[in-house]
Amino acid sequence: MPQIITEQNLRNLIDLLVKEAKLVVGPKLSGSVVLYEPLTAGSDLTLDALPRRSSKELFFPICEDILSYKRENGAMKVNDVDRSKFPETVLIGAPPCDAGSPAILDAVMSWDYKDEFYLERRRKSTIVGIACTKGDDACFCRAVGLAPDAEAGSDLFLTPLKDGSYACKAVTEKGQALVAAHKNLFAEGAGAEPVAFVDQAVEKLDLVKIKKWLEDHFEDPLWEKIADICVGCGACAFICPACHCFDINDEGSTDDGVRRKHWDACGFAKFTNHASGHNPRDVQNKRYRNRIMHKFKYYDDKFGKTLCTGCGRCIRACPVGIDIAEILETINTKHD
Amino acid sequence: MCKSDNIYLPNLATIEAIVDETPDVRTLRLVFQDEQVRENFSFRAGQFAEYSSFGFGESTFCIASAPTRKGYIECCFRSVGRVTESLRRLEVGDTVGVRGPYGNSFPIEEFYGKSLVFIAGGIALPPLRTVIWNCLDLRDKFKDITIVYGARSEADLVYKHELKEWQERGDVRLVKCVDPGGAGPDFDGKVGFVPTVLEEAAPSAENTIALVCGPPIMIKFTLPVLERLGFTDDNIYTTLENRMKCGVGKCGRCNVGNVYVCKDGPVFTARQVKAMSQEF
Repeated sequence: MPQIITEQNLRNLIDLLVKEAKLVVGPKLSGSVVLYEPLTAGSDLTLDALPRRSSKELFFPICEDILSYKRENGAMKVNDVDRSKFPETVLIGAPPCDAGSPAILDAVMSWDYKDEFYLERRRKSTIVGIACTKGDDACFCRAVGLAPDAEAGSDLFLTPLKDGSYACKAVTEKGQALVAAHKNLFAEGAGAEPVAFVDQAVEKLDLVKIKKWLEDHFEDPLWEKIADICVGCGACAFICPACHCFDINDEGSTDDGVRRKHWDACGFAKFTNHASGHNPRDVQNKRYRNRIMHKFKYYDDKFGKTLCTGCGRCIRACPVGIDIAEILETINTKHD
Repeated sequence: MCKSDNIYLPNLATIEAIVDETPDVRTLRLVFQDEQVRENFSFRAGQFAEYSSFGFGESTFCIASAPTRKGYIECCFRSVGRVTESLRRLEVGDTVGVRGPYGNSFPIEEFYGKSLVFIAGGIALPPLRTVIWNCLDLRDKFKDITIVYGARSEADLVYKHELKEWQERGDVRLVKCVDPGGAGPDFDGKVGFVPTVLEEAAPSAENTIALVCGPPIMIKFTLPVLERLGFTDDNIYTTLENRMKCGVGKCGRCNVGNVYVCKDGPVFTARQVKAMSQEF
């Protein structure tokens, strides 16, 4: 049976979740930009813009402690991080391009060795996705097989309706549990017409064909043509919902400190630099090639998924105007 | 090895001995502090570990000792960066962290009954030294063993005392070399680059496995020589010591195309290397 929640009740739901001591994170106006931030009340939620950064940092923080160390009476002691203290979290108001990214990252974080920092946060989180009616000309989720109304990755999925309320669909057991625990905020019924989605500049692309072209064109003039202008700033990787390169460093003295995992980017010049000085990706276009290859070939080879949700953030953020959707379209039109 | 499910948590080890191989290359002999870890830690030749110097971070090196030698492990590194410099400042009795063992290994059992040719350049001997001692400890399982090892200069040759030992044991053919201009007046090896010296030494490819480790440029020039000597791509093994960080296939640093060196390697056959995107 379809269910409806009014905007006021959605905000009331946030209030209740905050009272239940859950960490509630959603789009919030922070200064002049909208970011995913902890909500202290339902009134904090803003749904009229795509947050500047993706929501991946909720599961994979920009920087997190992975252990602490301390010398006591001359002996070094290493202490684990108590992951049981990670808060029960509800991500609310994430469009499909953000709500869908953890489901993609689960594969790399859980193959063989399990990254419990990521997986524990995933276990303790519920994702309330929302169909996107705010797309702009950088959006290309349809191109990579998602859609403004894609439920993939959401536990509960909301569709904005023309009367200001939302149609709700519990996609997973977590979503069902969230609704069941706050039944009085939801009403049964189909509700009004859904709000229309914004047309996207890039329609669905043939990812199989693109992957095949990438397979056959590791060496190609295209890479220099599109990526010699890349300045290697890493902005695209840092705001991407799916990029997950990281580095590990210590902070503190030799006697007392923490070891931290923090974001890194394959576009940085020294990312693959060997101790000998040899660098397998010694020029910027090779580094950019790796970014495209990783997203549309390597990750699919390994995990059967595309490492991109088409959110368009990298296009909006690139200081030199590199447009990944345009690159995909270019590759999509190539015929061997 | 750790009881925790935190894959980034290292075991603690004490530096038991230090050997300065060259002015900037050092070997650390490490003994795990936890008795259970000491008893149970096992690895296969070719695997690597993440070694940490607390306050600085982690560096990736192969485990340079042989799995047949129990009770300790060794790592060998050149001081080139923040972490390796800090590891070099540590003294006997100090503590380091060790995560691992990681990656695949040389299929030594498949080499039984065959001859072996080891070819290494500079700081790339440690990843093969683990196999060399592993095989020497099981000497009767192998036929001829040849070691071709070169460095830029005499001073840059690592494991000098072991080179002497291999030279004198009588059941190993050691061919030492240094680059032109790198030999002192008393150098008893050859002068020339590793691929050239290998071609001159001309080990037989008959029922023989070649194991190569060195800088990419050396590997690039060594493979054609091995081909000319009659080695097939399936009988040539190498270990790609790419830059790694997490060691467990997450951090996205060591991939060569869709191959994660830390998970799918570091040991590959020449056939596998040739199938990779040429990005190393």
